[in-house]
Amino acid sequence: MFRKIAVAAGLLAAAIAGPAQAQDYPEKPIEFIVPWGPGGGSDTLMRIVAMGLSEVTGQAVPIVNMPGVGGTVGLAEFAKRPADGYTISQIHEGLYTANKLGITELSYKNFIPVALVTSSPQYLVLSKNDNFSNLEELKAYAAANPGAVRAGVTLGGVPHLHMAMIEEALGVQFSYVGFRDTGERIRAAVGGNVDIVIGDVASASEFVKNGDLIFAGVGTEERTSEEPDVPTMAEQGYDLSMAVTRGVVLPAGTPDEIVEALDAALEKAMSLPDIREKMTNAGSADIYLGHEAYKAYLDKLDGEVDKVVGKLQG
Amino acid sequence: MMLDAFLAGAHQVFAFDTLIYMLIGSVAGIVAAAIPGFTVTMAIILTLPLTFTMGPLQGVSVMLSVYVGGYTGGLISAALLGIPGTPSSVATTFDAYPMARGGEPGRALSLGVWSSFFGTVISTIVLIIAAPPLAMIAVKLGPWEYFSLIVFALTIVASLVGNSLMRGLIAGVIGLGLATIGPDPMMGQPRLTFESSILMPGLPFLVVLIGIFAISQLMGELEDHGKGPSSDALIPDVIEFKTWAVMREVLMHPVNLVRSSLIGVFIGALPGAGGSIANLLAYDQAKRSSKNPDEFGKGNPDGVIASEAGNSATAGGGLIPMIALGIPGSAVDAILMAALMVHGISVGPRLIMDNADLAYGMFVAMVVASLMMLVVCVLSMRLFLRVTDIPKQFIVPTVMICCVIGAFALNNRVTDLYLLGAIGLVGYGLKSLDYPLAPLVLGVILGPIAETNLRRALMSDGDWTVFFTRPISAVLLAAALLSVIFSIRSVLKMRKKDRPATDEQDGD
Repeated sequence: MFRKIAVAAGLLAAAIAGPAQAQDYPEKPIEFIVPWGPGGGSDTLMRIVAMGLSEVTGQAVPIVNMPGVGGTVGLAEFAKRPADGYTISQIHEGLYTANKLGITELSYKNFIPVALVTSSPQYLVLSKNDNFSNLEELKAYAAANPGAVRAGVTLGGVPHLHMAMIEEALGVQFSYVGFRDTGERIRAAVGGNVDIVIGDVASASEFVKNGDLIFAGVGTEERTSEEPDVPTMAEQGYDLSMAVTRGVVLPAGTPDEIVEALDAALEKAMSLPDIREKMTNAGSADIYLGHEAYKAYLDKLDGEVDKVVGKLQG
Repeated sequence: MMLDAFLAGAHQVFAFDTLIYMLIGSVAGIVAAAIPGFTVTMAIILTLPLTFTMGPLQGVSVMLSVYVGGYTGGLISAALLGIPGTPSSVATTFDAYPMARGGEPGRALSLGVWSSFFGTVISTIVLIIAAPPLAMIAVKLGPWEYFSLIVFALTIVASLVGNSLMRGLIAGVIGLGLATIGPDPMMGQPRLTFESSILMPGLPFLVVLIGIFAISQLMGELEDHGKGPSSDALIPDVIEFKTWAVMREVLMHPVNLVRSSLIGVFIGALPGAGGSIANLLAYDQAKRSSKNPDEFGKGNPDGVIASEAGNSATAGGGLIPMIALGIPGSAVDAILMAALMVHGISVGPRLIMDNADLAYGMFVAMVVASLMMLVVCVLSMRLFLRVTDIPKQFIVPTVMICCVIGAFALNNRVTDLYLLGAIGLVGYGLKSLDYPLAPLVLGVILGPIAETNLRRALMSDGDWTVFFTRPISAVLLAAALLSVIFSIRSVLKMRKKDRPATDEQDGD
């Protein structure tokens, strides 16, 4: 008898605590699964995001690196976690290519996008060579010598996608050479082992200043504040948008109140001056898209990726 | 200008709080590396967020002390337990462990600590005087040179085969085979995974290393339990160590010390290679140039000196491309660079010009970190040696637990633990059948690097002859050929010597 009452009371307490939980969220540490290895772009940026989130919420936000198979091992594990807001993760454009190339069943639709917190504009970078030193010369040379221009990319990854977009826009043919990450590609370009690569300010601008590499164009709508002398691709007649954006996601089925609470906390965190400065230093543009805007962005991106995905195969 | 920058950097490093943090970092690096399954990289990652709140040079100095301490700490479990504490101390087990088992654990540890110290210092000197030209050479090397270097490195299997060339080669091939499981290094397409979620991410190198060396060694200890006088403690008898006498002993092998350190510097300066290759390569070269190669593997001091100087020197070597060009030489250097970037310091070819005090401060920090490592190790050596007094029934399960935690902490994947168990059983089986384990590990390390660079080379230029027409690549391939000829000759010589005893046994 008393047991039944106790159980009933427990259930009642749980029912009351349910909505209260969303209001008090977060009331314990939030685990942040970064599906990439330590030291990379995602890891560095997400550690700063975690620092800001922890400052705003007063809860610890420990980073758990779960790398493997193009970021999909960590996301597969994340998808299985309870949808209570106490495990969060991160996605970027790589999930699209991994999904469309059949490496994973998961797509962005398996998660609830909370907020886009970083965007790293991507640049077309030329290594110093005798044949071309800007986009037009590259086009002319590549048109005259099909397959002679060696393009450094991560095969099946985001840079491959961007390079394929450029190849299609210029109407030429490159030969692709595979690298694991941006650092490796930039190094190969500095050493003259490839001719063109996709890079970002964080990894390439010092070499551009030093005269080893050339920025031929950036895939943003307007020129960036870090490199105001570099023309956009659109200015040069090719309407291409090239960026690596990273956003925080929750497992499908998370209550709306928690999504909203996390969105609000992230927005506050990303506006802290200290966090903004660190994010800029780590190569991210000043940007924040909340839940709805981020979702719209991801849907639009899906269509764009579909157009060139055929080029990534084979 | 140079002196100003040097003094400014030194001033920041010698601040009291920086030194205290560095000391803590040094101890943390040594302890983390001494525990099998925990790596230097993990210790540095844990330090990273702490450095966000420090000044840039202070943060990097602390990370460097973790780094330098970590390259030495692996020695402790390698010498006392026969288990490499980190991937960079595989070759250290070959001679340091027999020496410790032979009743001289204090000497084995002291030799390793002094060799590590001198290795780090030599690498820092090279870093200071020759960073820009060396970095330029390192960055010009294309996939052809890398592939040829790995071909050369594969030939050192011949030094690691132990009793039988055939079994050594088989172990090497098993290693190369294991490395092909998982996503292919170019396209990320799954290979040999049989749709199993356990095999999908591939076999992480560290899991293979712990499984092959640690698990099989620990099972071997259990098997020996109750046999002979050594059943209570791993190493019996009174332990003594003579710090200064051993320092003289290390300095009495100057050729080996300098050669091994330079190998470490060059391998470290090549992005993507690293301490594990330097450790084995330095050992191999010491063995080949020794007058008594038969003594290696039985507690030869040269083996300890070569392996420890070689791996520690990669610390300074890895900083060469990072400081001169902003290109990380290893995963640890990439994390160092990330720490600097967060502070708004652009790490690139202009670092020495634009942030001279920081660059020179890092040189100073390297020297300070290696001195701290030395002091910490010498003072705590008695404590480490007490490990050998602990009865086996306590130490074997404790180390086993550390291995399991370390294997999990690497990628936070439970499936890695199943792999660890399976690989441990395979390692134990191979060990029981007298297969040497080092060639297997070498295959796992080198296989993916060779494949990536071979494919990259052929994607850049479909012409095979480029491997022979690029001069550095051609030299490396010639060295590989010479190395094989040398090995065959020494095997034939040994056969001749053994002929009367092993008459009809041609099975090996």
